[in-house]
Amino acid sequence: MNTKTKNLLITLLFLTFLAVLSVTGLLLPDSSFSARENRYLQTLPSFSLEKLFSGELTADFEDYCADQFPFRDTWITVNARYEQLSGKKQTNGVYLCGNRLITPFTAPAEKELKRRLGTVEQLKEAVEAPLTLALIPNAAEIYADKLPAGAPNDSQAEVIRRAEEAGLSAAPLLQTLRAHREEEIFYRTDHHWTTLGAYYGYTALCEPLGLTGRPLESFAPETVSRDFYGTAYSSSGYTWVEADSIERYVSADAAASVVSYRGGTPTEGTLYREESLSKKDQYTYFLGGNTPEIVLTGRDSRLPRLLIIRDSYSDCLAPFLLAHYSEIRMLDLRYYLGSVADYAAEHSPDQILIMYSVANFCSESSVMAMTP
Amino acid sequence: MVFSTLVFLFVYLPVVLGIYYLLPFRWRNVFLFLCSLFFYGWGEPVYILLMLVTITVNYIGGILVDRFRHEPKKARLILTLNTVISLSFLVFFKYADLFIGSVNSLFGTHLALLGLKLPIGISFYTFQTMSYPIDVYRGDGRVQRSFTSFGAFVTLFPQLIAGPIVRYKDIDEQLIEREHSLDKFASGAERFTLGLAKKVLLANGIGSLWDIYAANIEGLTVLGAWLGALAFAFQIYFDFSGYSDMAIGLGRMLGFDFLENFNYPYFSRSVTEFWRVWHISLGTWFRDYVYIPLGGNRRGIQRQIFNLLVVWALTGFWHGANWTFLLWGLYYAVFLIAEKLFLLKRLERAPALGHIYTLLAVLFGWMLFQLNSLAEVGGYYRAMLGFGRALFSQTDLFYLRSYLAVLLSCALASTPLLKRLYSRLDPKLRAVTTPLLMLAALFLCTAKLTNDTYNPFLYFIF
Repeated sequence: MNTKTKNLLITLLFLTFLAVLSVTGLLLPDSSFSARENRYLQTLPSFSLEKLFSGELTADFEDYCADQFPFRDTWITVNARYEQLSGKKQTNGVYLCGNRLITPFTAPAEKELKRRLGTVEQLKEAVEAPLTLALIPNAAEIYADKLPAGAPNDSQAEVIRRAEEAGLSAAPLLQTLRAHREEEIFYRTDHHWTTLGAYYGYTALCEPLGLTGRPLESFAPETVSRDFYGTAYSSSGYTWVEADSIERYVSADAAASVVSYRGGTPTEGTLYREESLSKKDQYTYFLGGNTPEIVLTGRDSRLPRLLIIRDSYSDCLAPFLLAHYSEIRMLDLRYYLGSVADYAAEHSPDQILIMYSVANFCSESSVMAMTP
Repeated sequence: MVFSTLVFLFVYLPVVLGIYYLLPFRWRNVFLFLCSLFFYGWGEPVYILLMLVTITVNYIGGILVDRFRHEPKKARLILTLNTVISLSFLVFFKYADLFIGSVNSLFGTHLALLGLKLPIGISFYTFQTMSYPIDVYRGDGRVQRSFTSFGAFVTLFPQLIAGPIVRYKDIDEQLIEREHSLDKFASGAERFTLGLAKKVLLANGIGSLWDIYAANIEGLTVLGAWLGALAFAFQIYFDFSGYSDMAIGLGRMLGFDFLENFNYPYFSRSVTEFWRVWHISLGTWFRDYVYIPLGGNRRGIQRQIFNLLVVWALTGFWHGANWTFLLWGLYYAVFLIAEKLFLLKRLERAPALGHIYTLLAVLFGWMLFQLNSLAEVGGYYRAMLGFGRALFSQTDLFYLRSYLAVLLSCALASTPLLKRLYSRLDPKLRAVTTPLLMLAALFLCTAKLTNDTYNPFLYFIF
């Protein structure tokens, strides 16, 4: 091959690479939603002089090119492979530990943790019913040893210890989950606990709530999905990790009724939403996903009533509690904007449970909204 | 717009190259001017006006200087006026808030800051345009009567926002006539891809390590401090030289030949040598328009030392609107003066020592350059020197393992070794490997750039 041929080859290769991707991008239809990233994508921005001069137009157009870039998901996977080959143990903040994806925990500053525990203490003073705080450690704590040696990952046990010191938390979640770490208690591709994990969570709650837990053998688990790819999968680009499966333990008729206040008005719901299983975020199978307020009614009206201030970890735990309560009210403070103390006064539950994963309790700003 | 974005690579560049080569030669400068203005206005459309004013002022300045070529007094007056106008734009947009802030903290006043967004590339193009009437005055360059050709020179998008600082006299003839050939295009594409890989794979790849350590100066260990400093040194070199490579490559694709801007600076044996091969176009600019006019080394050693101090204070300050940059410039002046006086001769006798000494001087220098305050610099230096810090932590070892491949690649790419070995390969073999390597680099860069825009909205992360 002489220099001329080589230069022709280089020129063609360079131009073809640019042209193919740019023309493909032009020809492929734009999509408005990315299932994997779970967000709306930038579509072709409309022109206006105002947007042009503010710089918004060009910024939107850059997002548009990026969001609609051809074979976007494939490039993300290529990048994850490249990072892995170059010796990096993580991409986009998610570690690949064998066949498990783990997002490490970053502890809040001392002052911040105090502030958050303080708000729970204040609520405890303000309400009549006994209040329990349950903090759920996630995979980054239970499987901390599976992270690469020296990878930055703060202790969630320390946060739980601080909550116990403040007299707020008595549920032995950490010990219970640790004891069952050899079982499938956390999804490998998602940050949530599995239904089995939630069952052990339920047994740990029995003591502080004064319940007699049902033994594991009394349930007949049923696998409802074998192709669940969770949030850690979405953010990492480690697309070669095996899918998770989702199980349900409690049958749907454990609830006499499920009323969800998604969008403000009461809507009849179910414990399990079958449509979610054909969507990307299959975890919304449990109680149908994010909603400001949801009311579960049990089968026995003589039982006490429970109020849970919670994050999405409760979605798959609540069905276990239904055997012990006539009514379970669940508030998600990201969406429920009213006062928690007022809500408690209005509905006068017999017990109040504040249940968050340690990670969310430490980082989610709406936690502060429970301040009376 | 910057080169290392999807919108530049897959929208702007194909469109511009396509139209450029379809146009007859006489329209190409006009087209370059227009599409460069578009490139410039991408981030901040209103600043196109500022750019047009800058071009007009210097365009007229050049013509007037040329007209009064035989009346030195008038010519000099015009030149002075032109320089003052050019510099005042730079000072106003870049340094006004620093001066206001300093006055406020010195005298306890509460003057409001202007909060202007810095016009992208202003430090580069101001120097570039300012030198043009000076070159005309000195008879080093011819006057340009075509406004669009002059505009094309100033705004030429390959070098507009991050250099190299192209001087008018170096490009004068190319504006009138330049060669477009397959060989030139291919070498441009190759160079561009190399620059892109340096920027995206090496600079961005190692940059995150620096970010980690710079965010936690109080908690640094000795090993962490050195890893961080090394990471930054690599990041800035591959970022900047990668950008220069891309500029030179794009220039070639459009028929231009720009001068080289870097030549393995980290392989230098003295600070003097380092500055001869780091950001060459800036060093040359200061030499020709400040150092030599001040008398350079022709007026005795005392005057030379003074000149060096002036040049390096200005060089430092050019890099950023913070007093630490001034200090950074003077820091180098001290090394350069010491080398001039006695050190250089000794270093020549011990080249290995020279390499180590230069790297250390540069590494410590970068911390002064990059950190925001002297307190931070002090803290960082103490960690590097081991005052009251642990030697290393498990986390450092983890980062070392994670970044080892990138660090070693950076170290290797900082020496001329790879290039030398590669050029020894059989040309026939290279004719196959070069295109393959280019393809691999383009693929990886695209993947990494796409990942940078990957922005999962995990509202269900709750």
